[in-house]
Amino acid sequence: MPDTDAAPPTFPPPRHAITLLGADVELRTGTDLRGWMPVVPHVATASGAPSLAAMGMLLDIVGGTSAALAARPDQVFTADMSVHLLPSVVVDEVVCDVHVRRRGRRTLVQEFSLEGGRGEPVGRGTTTFVVTRRSDDGPDVESHDFHGRQPFWPLGPDEEPARYREELGLRIDGPGEVSIDARWQVANNVGALNGGVQAAMIDESATSLGRVHLAPTAEATDAHIAFLRPGLKGPLRAVATLVGGPAPEGDRLTAEVRLLDAEGTLCTFATTEVVVP
Amino acid sequence: MTDTTYGARQIDREERRFLPTEVFEQPEDPNGLPVLDLHLDDLPFLTDAEGRITTGALLAACDSVGGLACGLAVLPRWIVTTNLTVRRAPSALHDGRGTGPLRIRADVLRAGRSAAVARLSTFDRDDVEVATGWITSAALVPEDGPPQHARPFHRKLHPLSDDPSACPRMEDFFGVRAGASSTEGWLDLTEPRRNMWGILLGAGVAVLIEHTALAAVAGVPVGDPTPHHVLSDLVIHYLSPGRVGPVVATAELIGRHGADDMVKLDLRDVGADDRPLTTAVATVRRVGRAGSS
Repeated sequence: MPDTDAAPPTFPPPRHAITLLGADVELRTGTDLRGWMPVVPHVATASGAPSLAAMGMLLDIVGGTSAALAARPDQVFTADMSVHLLPSVVVDEVVCDVHVRRRGRRTLVQEFSLEGGRGEPVGRGTTTFVVTRRSDDGPDVESHDFHGRQPFWPLGPDEEPARYREELGLRIDGPGEVSIDARWQVANNVGALNGGVQAAMIDESATSLGRVHLAPTAEATDAHIAFLRPGLKGPLRAVATLVGGPAPEGDRLTAEVRLLDAEGTLCTFATTEVVVP
Repeated sequence: MTDTTYGARQIDREERRFLPTEVFEQPEDPNGLPVLDLHLDDLPFLTDAEGRITTGALLAACDSVGGLACGLAVLPRWIVTTNLTVRRAPSALHDGRGTGPLRIRADVLRAGRSAAVARLSTFDRDDVEVATGWITSAALVPEDGPPQHARPFHRKLHPLSDDPSACPRMEDFFGVRAGASSTEGWLDLTEPRRNMWGILLGAGVAVLIEHTALAAVAGVPVGDPTPHHVLSDLVIHYLSPGRVGPVVATAELIGRHGADDMVKLDLRDVGADDRPLTTAVATVRRVGRAGSS
């Protein structure tokens, strides 16, 4: 990625996107993990519900850790992710349980339940990972002991509190259009744009379309994301387009989102749903 | 490496004409990847009570044309479907909108050594996009080589009868039946319900999921009518092929918001030690009278 930026000596670099959610994780049974994320204004929608952007990153963290453990001695890359959220469910924290449904020779499939701290249903998720032979520069999850609830690469006690959405550095360039610079703080270990950050771009681009066509309170609740190629060259852009038109009641729309690198190469394709809660 | 679990068999395509379609290959895209169009008529045995082509039929058609496009993209290998998503636009689920024949375009977004991905765009007769989705496939080396197709590809599948009233609905072709509750549906794996690999047709998975999800939300036995309910969004992950049967689908209601219900669905091959076949998450939308209640 960042051709203007030297690779950090260790992954993740300070204030990397995966460190900004304040997530905790715990290994439960086998390779099944539980994750927790506090729902603060920087990760919430206008209605106060956990945002698609934050849920995409939580799935990336919890699912990625579980997948890395399940795929040993191989390594994994996210191939696709689906997130389904119930709109306007206001909770203090999200509890995310991941379960590996299939560990094949070439792919690994997971499913997620998303609930509030008192068991309120928040949503569901699924992911597919591609399993490949291990290189030496992957995130070192094996040396971590995930037994017992513990912070996932937390910010230091003297660091500024996280401002998740702001710190990603997304720019809204117009209705349905969002861009981001290629920086190591939003990249994965091989320098490509992190999958959770891509979910945030998809959320922001689709929601901005909803603000124009539906209402200022519109929020994206649902995404099916196919990661096609690594997004290496920035700035990267997400472009959302309407499918058909808004519902006649003016309360929802479907959009497609294309994530393109600086050369216009399609890196990710997603479909989304935006609603007025 | 040859995949010995996938050897193409001779099958009687005549008895599998439950979904009449016509597929045309279009000129390749600028990257040299295949583009296919599938035309799906709104025949009465493919439509719901509101006159829309059912999501089960739409899914089956998407699986068919998307899989074909991915297969042509990875020749001389072939593919099996690993994921399928379809999302119907809300503007096309209102009153009489979204009715009529549909055209599904499959354009391959990526074709690699081990996988291919295609976008699936569905248009109505006025060329308005009414649904979107994508399909992913894993490439494999079939024991007897890939299916042979003339290029540019063209295929027309006629209905089983010229008389539409004599044609079975998809749920009847696949013998979808109720289980112990409204959250359970079954089908048997008979020969016409298998594809050339000997496994349950993707259309069978689609129609079983659709009917189990609709029944779970409507609170009626699987197979009973569910007017004013539409499966509006779905992601299916195919975990393993259905080879023995019977196949059971179970639905779990996750939550409701407005006119939408979120449903999680799992399919198992009971005859193969309850092997998991698919996991899926769906949205069922109540439209018209049910949606406004």
